[in-house]
Amino acid sequence: MNPITREERQWFLRCLAFGLYEYMGAVAPPIPVEGLLKHPPSLFQDDFGVVDMYSTLWDATFARPPNRPGSVFVRIDLPADERRMALARELLSALITSKHGRAVGLVEFLMPDLKDSAEYFARHLLAPEPLVEAYRRRGGEEAGVAEAFGMPEPSARMRWKESQALL
Amino acid sequence: MSMQALNRLVARSIIDPTVLQAFGAGRIGDVLGELSFSPGLRRSLAGLQAESWTDFAVMAYRMVQAAEEPAVRIQLPSPVEGLLQEGRTDQEQVA
Repeated sequence: MNPITREERQWFLRCLAFGLYEYMGAVAPPIPVEGLLKHPPSLFQDDFGVVDMYSTLWDATFARPPNRPGSVFVRIDLPADERRMALARELLSALITSKHGRAVGLVEFLMPDLKDSAEYFARHLLAPEPLVEAYRRRGGEEAGVAEAFGMPEPSARMRWKESQALL
Repeated sequence: MSMQALNRLVARSIIDPTVLQAFGAGRIGDVLGELSFSPGLRRSLAGLQAESWTDFAVMAYRMVQAAEEPAVRIQLPSPVEGLLQEGRTDQEQVA
C-alpha cells in the first residue's frame, strides 16, 4: 500500500472520534470526556480510567500500571478546559494501546505521528463535526467556540478552521 | 453517500467488535451490506485485500474517494477555433 497521507490519517482520526461521540450520545456540548473515561465502551473496560495527580511536570499522561487498568494520570490543578483537552488527547493513547486498538492496527498506524494525531483527535472528540455544524447554523462564531465546547482557546481556533476546511 | 457509509463503518469499528471479527473472518462483505454503498462499490470493497483493519480502511477511503470524484472531462480545443487560428496565420503570412 502507498504511504498514508496526513489527510488520510486525519480522516481516520475523525472517524474514531465520531465513533466515541456516537457512543456517548451527546446532543450538545460540552462533550463528557471524563464520563467516557470513567464509563467506557465494554471493549475498553480495562483501558480507560482517570487518576488525579499532583504534578508540575506534565498536564496529563496515559499509563498502564502492572496488574491494573490503564488510566490517564492528570494534574489535579488544571483549569477545566485544559483538563478536558488533556484527557481527550491522552484518550488516544489509551485507545491505541488497548487490546482492541492493537487488534485494529492502531499502533502501526498512529504511533509514528502520535503527538500530532493526539491533538487532532482531541479537537474532534471535544468538538464533533455535527455539533460544530449545529453551532454554526445557530449563528455561532469563532470567538465563542472555546466557551461553547469547553476547550482551550488555541485548540478551539484550530478546530474552527478545520471545520471550515471540511465544508 | 458512500463516504458517509464508510465513515460510519470505521466509526463503528472502534466500539463494535463484530466489525473487526467480520474483517478477520473474511466476511466484511456482510457488514458492508448493512450500509448504503452502491452494489458495485460494495463488491469492490469486499474484495480488498489488507493485512490490518487500518490498512483496509485507508484502501477503502481511497476507493470511495475515487468513485465519488466527478468524471474528468477531456478538454480538447474546438475544431472551429483551430481553423480560425490557421486562417489568421495564413493572412499574416500573406501580409
